[in-house]
Amino acid sequence: MVSGTVEGERYFDRVVTALVMFSVIWAVLGMTVGVYIAAELIWPTLDFGLPWLSFGRLRPLHTNAVIFGFGVSALMGTAFYSVQRTSHVPLYAPRLAWFCCYAWQFTLLLGGLSLLAGWNTSKEYAELEWPFDIAITVIWVCFAIVFFGTIARRRIKPIYVSNWFYGGMIIVIAMIHIVNSLAIPVTISKSYSLFAGAQDAIVQWWYGHNAVGFLLTGGFLGMMYYFLPKQADRPIWSYRLSIVAFWAFTYSYIWAGPHHLHYSSIPDWVQSLAVAMSLILLAPSWATMINGIMTVSGASQKLRTDPALKFIVLSLAFYGLATFEGPMLAIKSVNVISHYTDWTIGHVHSGALGWNALITFGTFYFLVPRLVGTVLYSVRLANIHFWMALAGTMLYILAMWGAGVSQGLLWLSLDEIGELSFSFKDIMASMPPYYALRFVAGLVFLLGAVLMTYNLYMTIRGRRTIHVRPPAVTSHQV
Amino acid sequence: MTYFIFAGDMLVMLFMVVLVVWVFWRSSDKTIEKSARIPLEDEDTDA
Repeated sequence: MVSGTVEGERYFDRVVTALVMFSVIWAVLGMTVGVYIAAELIWPTLDFGLPWLSFGRLRPLHTNAVIFGFGVSALMGTAFYSVQRTSHVPLYAPRLAWFCCYAWQFTLLLGGLSLLAGWNTSKEYAELEWPFDIAITVIWVCFAIVFFGTIARRRIKPIYVSNWFYGGMIIVIAMIHIVNSLAIPVTISKSYSLFAGAQDAIVQWWYGHNAVGFLLTGGFLGMMYYFLPKQADRPIWSYRLSIVAFWAFTYSYIWAGPHHLHYSSIPDWVQSLAVAMSLILLAPSWATMINGIMTVSGASQKLRTDPALKFIVLSLAFYGLATFEGPMLAIKSVNVISHYTDWTIGHVHSGALGWNALITFGTFYFLVPRLVGTVLYSVRLANIHFWMALAGTMLYILAMWGAGVSQGLLWLSLDEIGELSFSFKDIMASMPPYYALRFVAGLVFLLGAVLMTYNLYMTIRGRRTIHVRPPAVTSHQV
Repeated sequence: MTYFIFAGDMLVMLFMVVLVVWVFWRSSDKTIEKSARIPLEDEDTDA
């Protein structure tokens, strides 16, 4: 910890502006691919017989672009923005921060092309082959150095709760990425996992679920705990509850992964443990949601007029929905219906669209004008985007709930002699109406994101990132 | 194995109970209030 302030010292925000812009580009790109593969499920000939346009290659491109391109760029940018401010010092090693920014985009760009070429580890959300895994590890370590280096140099004693969530994300993602990516390379484009059989499955879903937990939940909670009080212009409702929720979240999430492997060949006790921990997770998740909503409850006037705040409050509602649905789907008797159906896709998107994308949109509407020292180009367009995002998310979830519950129940139907009443083909033949609704929902959501891109571009056009200084000596300082 | 899981669960619960007690007893209302206000006072508005 350092003391005193340096004359002319200012926050290093240019890298934040760059990361936000890259994040928006990845959002539009990743969502466009998502809409295209949704169309392929209705009109399969849209692959035109080209391998790189097939669902199998575009689907990992979609998930990698939205999670690691849109999501991680936003998390990196907002972490860099908030950690300096909550530490009252400029970013540590700004050149390393620039390296993180550009190396991440370059790695994802090449990684995306490799997915189109058919390079694939076959591990969900970890499809990129070993050269990219090494690059990701190096960049992530640099990210950690910048982040924790800034905290180490902080001028105020408390480490604000958003930094606990961002820090937890950085540490856990490093751990699970390295372990899950352990592999023996055979060629530049092919490697084989160090684990085999049931162990491989357990390690993969320890990774997969904690990527959802510590990146898509923990990281974005860090975003929420910093930007919600900023937008609502009031402190978090219960700071104590936020700390308790952080540790409860951290201790219970790490065990929940095997609920992805119910009724498989992994040990039964591992499945039961995952159910128990998934149910426990409901407590910290809802504590956080309640904390967020109570924070906004005193700012109802601003909620009516500020589109950024509306996005964040709506994202908290979807966060509550997704974190209730998740533990329910982890219960084995519910999972027997939902697993291998589109219900899971609906659940994932209630979190991905409703929680991750909406809180990021809200944060960007707040952040971008501040970064360049102006006001948002069009509040009206932002409000239109809000309703398009809400409609798109709701339609998507409803379509996938309908499809998933139908699939689950029909697949479990037996005739009078105990044989399956419906074949896989029969059931899939009844899906096009649901898939058409999902396509429309995705398209509406994508068009909303395009509106935001235009709005943010017009806000930022011809402007430079402004200089902001840390505050003068405060009562927090040591 | 059941006892092992039970013991592990109880240790996690013990940690959480200790944490809650620590957070509520060790930190004064003033410290908590100051920490909660960090995002609201993190820029030099006079610059």
